[in-house]
Amino acid sequence: MRKGLTLLLVALLAVTLTVAGCSSNTPAPAGEEKLKVGFIYIGPVGDAGWTYAHDQGRQYLEKELDVETIIQESVPEDQQSEKVMKDMIDQGAKVIFATSYGYMDHVVNVAKEYPDIIFLHCSGDKIGDNYANYFGSIEEPRYLSGIVAGLKTQNDTIGYVAAFDYPEVIRGINAFTLGVRSVNPDAVVKVKWTNTWFDPAKEKAAAVALLDEGVDIIAQHQDTAGPQVAAEERGVWSVGYNTDMSKMAPKSYMTAPLWNWGMYYVKTVKEIQEGTWKPEAYWGTLKDGFVDLAPLTDIAPAEAQAAVDKVQDQMKAGTFDVFAGPIKDQNGKEMVPAGSTVSIGDQLGMKWFVEGVEGKIGQ
Amino acid sequence: MQIRLVKKADIGTRRQTLIFLAAIFLALFTTGLFILFLGLNPIRVYISMINGAFGSAYRLEQTFVNAIPLIITSLGIAIAFRMKFWNIGAEGQIIMGAFFASYVALNHSDLSRPVLLSIMFLAGFIGGAIWGFIPAFFKAKWGTNETIITLMMNYVALKWIIYLQFGPWKDPSALGFPKIPNFAENAILPKLFGLHIGWIIALILVVLVYIFMNRSKKGFEIAVIGESINTARYAGINIFRTIILAMVLSGGICGIVGMIQTSGVNLTLSKEITGGVGYTAIITAWLGALKPHWIVLVSVLFAALIQGSSYIQSAFGLSAASAQLFQAIILFFVLGSEFFARYKVIFDWKSLSKAKEDRE
Amino acid sequence: MKNGSAYVSMRDITKIFGTVKATDNMNLDVTKGEIHALLGENGAGKSTLMNMLSGIYIPDSGHIFIDNKENRFTSPRDAIKAGVGMIHQHFKLVEVLTALDNILLGYNVGLFVNKRIQKEQINKIMEKFQLDVDLDKYVFDMSVGEKQTLEILKTLYRGARILILDEPTAVLTPQETVKLFKIMRRMKNQDCSVIFISHKMNEVMEIADRVTVLRKGRTIDTLIKENSNPQELTELMVGRPVDLSIKRIDKLTDKVVFKVRNLRADNEEKVEVLKGINFEMYQGEILGVAGIAGSGQKELCEALAGLYPIKEGEISFKGEDLAGKNPKEFITRGISMSFIPEDRLGMGLVANMDMVDNILLKQYHKSKGFLVKRKPAAEKAKEIIQKLDVITPGVHHPIKNLSGGNIQKVLLGRELDSHPELLITAYPVRGLDINTCLKIYDILNEEKKKGVSILYIAEDLDSLLGLCDRIMVISNGEVTGIVDARKATKEQLGLMMLGNKEVDNAD
Repeated sequence: MRKGLTLLLVALLAVTLTVAGCSSNTPAPAGEEKLKVGFIYIGPVGDAGWTYAHDQGRQYLEKELDVETIIQESVPEDQQSEKVMKDMIDQGAKVIFATSYGYMDHVVNVAKEYPDIIFLHCSGDKIGDNYANYFGSIEEPRYLSGIVAGLKTQNDTIGYVAAFDYPEVIRGINAFTLGVRSVNPDAVVKVKWTNTWFDPAKEKAAAVALLDEGVDIIAQHQDTAGPQVAAEERGVWSVGYNTDMSKMAPKSYMTAPLWNWGMYYVKTVKEIQEGTWKPEAYWGTLKDGFVDLAPLTDIAPAEAQAAVDKVQDQMKAGTFDVFAGPIKDQNGKEMVPAGSTVSIGDQLGMKWFVEGVEGKIGQ
Repeated sequence: MQIRLVKKADIGTRRQTLIFLAAIFLALFTTGLFILFLGLNPIRVYISMINGAFGSAYRLEQTFVNAIPLIITSLGIAIAFRMKFWNIGAEGQIIMGAFFASYVALNHSDLSRPVLLSIMFLAGFIGGAIWGFIPAFFKAKWGTNETIITLMMNYVALKWIIYLQFGPWKDPSALGFPKIPNFAENAILPKLFGLHIGWIIALILVVLVYIFMNRSKKGFEIAVIGESINTARYAGINIFRTIILAMVLSGGICGIVGMIQTSGVNLTLSKEITGGVGYTAIITAWLGALKPHWIVLVSVLFAALIQGSSYIQSAFGLSAASAQLFQAIILFFVLGSEFFARYKVIFDWKSLSKAKEDRE
Repeated sequence: MKNGSAYVSMRDITKIFGTVKATDNMNLDVTKGEIHALLGENGAGKSTLMNMLSGIYIPDSGHIFIDNKENRFTSPRDAIKAGVGMIHQHFKLVEVLTALDNILLGYNVGLFVNKRIQKEQINKIMEKFQLDVDLDKYVFDMSVGEKQTLEILKTLYRGARILILDEPTAVLTPQETVKLFKIMRRMKNQDCSVIFISHKMNEVMEIADRVTVLRKGRTIDTLIKENSNPQELTELMVGRPVDLSIKRIDKLTDKVVFKVRNLRADNEEKVEVLKGINFEMYQGEILGVAGIAGSGQKELCEALAGLYPIKEGEISFKGEDLAGKNPKEFITRGISMSFIPEDRLGMGLVANMDMVDNILLKQYHKSKGFLVKRKPAAEKAKEIIQKLDVITPGVHHPIKNLSGGNIQKVLLGRELDSHPELLITAYPVRGLDINTCLKIYDILNEEKKKGVSILYIAEDLDSLLGLCDRIMVISNGEVTGIVDARKATKEQLGLMMLGNKEVDNAD
């Protein structure tokens, strides 16, 4: 009984191998001319957040330039990602964008193995002959969104749902808090870690816990709109991230810090096509249009637009520094004296909270 | 109408084969409908899938990288299943094997490569063996339900690794990113013909497990216990010791998978180390009828399915979910066909008309 | 028997399992008010035919008429609606419920059950058929006979007019059998049809009006009992002339080789199941053990074989104390004792393994090294096939696919191969057809001649009286007496099986 099955399976295997052998000889249709660009995503494109924003950028790239793109969703930040990169190279990708911090070492590993392929890694700090990184000063729009929240809060407590205690996230929390306290010096920002980028249920649960502690605004650094949904259900307000989340939380959403990945993707791929690309640590700013604040909704306080505009103009003019001293840490210790600031290098390694944040690093 | 199931007597090879073919056809047809619904050409997608699994040296290599842990884990599971000990805990046994091996790798990287790898191999076996021993001891001593205990121990093992990864073992140089440091060069499995030498280990294990199950005294005793505990007692088999031995081997072999995956593929320990192999291998072990040689075949085909659907995912821009759906549909039909090989379904229209009559 | 056309008529019934024709164009007619016996060896198709009449199997072809109306049963529920009920060998009762609850269980579909009205109806039926069931008694408190009566009542209450009894006497004492026959006669007088499946000639001769003989899936003939005799029926059943007598060989010596003193054991619920058993066995004798099913026979032989925990007592075999030793120790110490357990496929053999592996089961301990040696076992298998006429497609055929008789031959062959001096056999002929039974008796006598002491546990009193030297009767875990088989009678054994101490006409 089983023997027949085995014979069949062997036959199946033989047939598949033959078919595979034949088909691999035929060249991929129309794949010779177009540049193939691979995108590796940490979550699904439908996350309405981080990955969605990157995928918008990818679509913009396809529209603007004559390139073919391939994607892989929900790639874990471990060795699996190297396999995915190699799969993409195997399929003819010449440029790979890896869009999460955890891919960093793996990008370097694969880049060394494939010197002809160009790798661009988002949010890391590694750079080499054929690999580089890109990120930007999201703390600028975060600071601006803090102004909106600081003006809106009624009981001076704001909740912040955050993924991991990486410097990138800490920096965002600090910028947001500084923004809040620039208009509302008494307000505090309570932080809850979720230890995940993408888990709508867990993110929402963290927001609910914060709401139970009495916060009346939810801000976030996650990949989905889970926290916004929690705020919406409680009838309080929220600040989103990555995308315009007004559809998910129409009665709660005020604004969100945004990335404009598409502009960078087009710029970089164009350089590669023209042969002018050089490895660089790209750091986009509000001035460049790489980061932005989403338009304020009607839920934002009336006076917020003017307050935001004022600071935003200064940022665009290059005269405003989010981390300009004096800044104290949680314990009241002065970390940045007046007249000085935090260097980009120190920002990338930031491991302390500014005054006004309630939460712990290293849990 | 009533639907009734009637057990079939043993059916012939030809009908078995026909049912299996029908299952494959139905699976491809159903998946085809879904692909059409996505606006793609099913035939092209299928050819791409095969192409993606076998179409180049690189893809073939990736298929085998997927197949190695499946083969070895299925072997481990097969030993326990032969005894009708339902070891659902391969996942946890892999993790514990990986943990033990990683402990050695991270703390003794100063040893020479062959020595270090040998110790890691042994440690992997021991880690898995301990995780297999615990449910076996409980079962043999107090007759506890092994399904539940092995399953629960998977979660214990997983949470332990998460604790390590986010806590004491977190790489201090990763700027807070929760990962365990990569192994030193010494602790990484060498490659042979472009593939880490896990494939040699797998082949050796296939032969060893085959001999153990079919030719050895202990393997024979395990099979007897699996068929009938009473007969085993009658024949003077020490049931307690045999259950423990079988599960130590079963868990230990799964533990070796943990060592191979950390040292050959992942290059460190992480909470995603198993990739669900511990559960998938239950299916491959079962489809392979618990026979080592068939397990190899089924595992390679299964790995091809995984690799192929990963390929079409990026080639056709499909979402991860739809690629997984293809796998699920194919599995559903193949596993479902086993049911139709064993049972006949009777649609009893008569009792419907009878019920109508009764009402009227 | 009333004249008139058939009440139940089965025409050209064929049922195929895999490649085996279980019934091949079988025919059967049963009239109202008749006790109709179905006689046949194992595998003749008796049970298959009746399972189709009671809706458990669906015939591949053929017609079933009840009262001249064609029926197609697809479930036992359909059958009972048409008035056909079957009492199986294994009762389908829920032990923890009362008799009444068992009768009502699954029958009343409504939300509420008015037990009082139902009870009245049941009492009426009991009166009509003179059944004696205590409706408030729990099933676990009932004897086998009581359970059987309850099954009959349950089936009658559900409206059965045609009652099928599948080897009903196999589990009963002689006294209970007499009671059952009374019930069957009453049902006959109430115009019910009773179909009685059996392979026991004497019972068929006692109770049946007509007998239909089946052989290898075919109906051979239907005879009126008065016009036939056991010899004729047996020959029709077997298909050739047979000598029905059981031979007895005289005991060889008076040398005691096996002694059991004050053997006590508890079951898992800590209830004493062996209450101080004492007996001894002589070299070259067959000691029979009689008793109602569940009187401690199983525990006794498993305790002797080292498979059941003993609380206290001595078991000595040629001066060596066996109490508390396990089978492994028996093997390693070279104690030449063999045990043929009651549950052949559940304990003696491995159903899914082939003959070679089953023989290996008792051999692999002895060989040296890590690996098993299958070659000698295969040779042994071929030897056993030859010596005991085992019918099998080959030594690599799974045991479970053999017939019951051949399975028993494999088991016996393997155990005798170790040349035991003490042989414990639990129900060695249970469920086997006459031919195989006779063959097994011959084998046992053959061993006895060699000086082997045989403990022979059986339920069939005829075989006990015919084959054994002495018969030990146990009841409820106690020995009620050991009698000389040459002088004992069935009635005497029956009384002792019910717990009466030795009735004194043995010596």
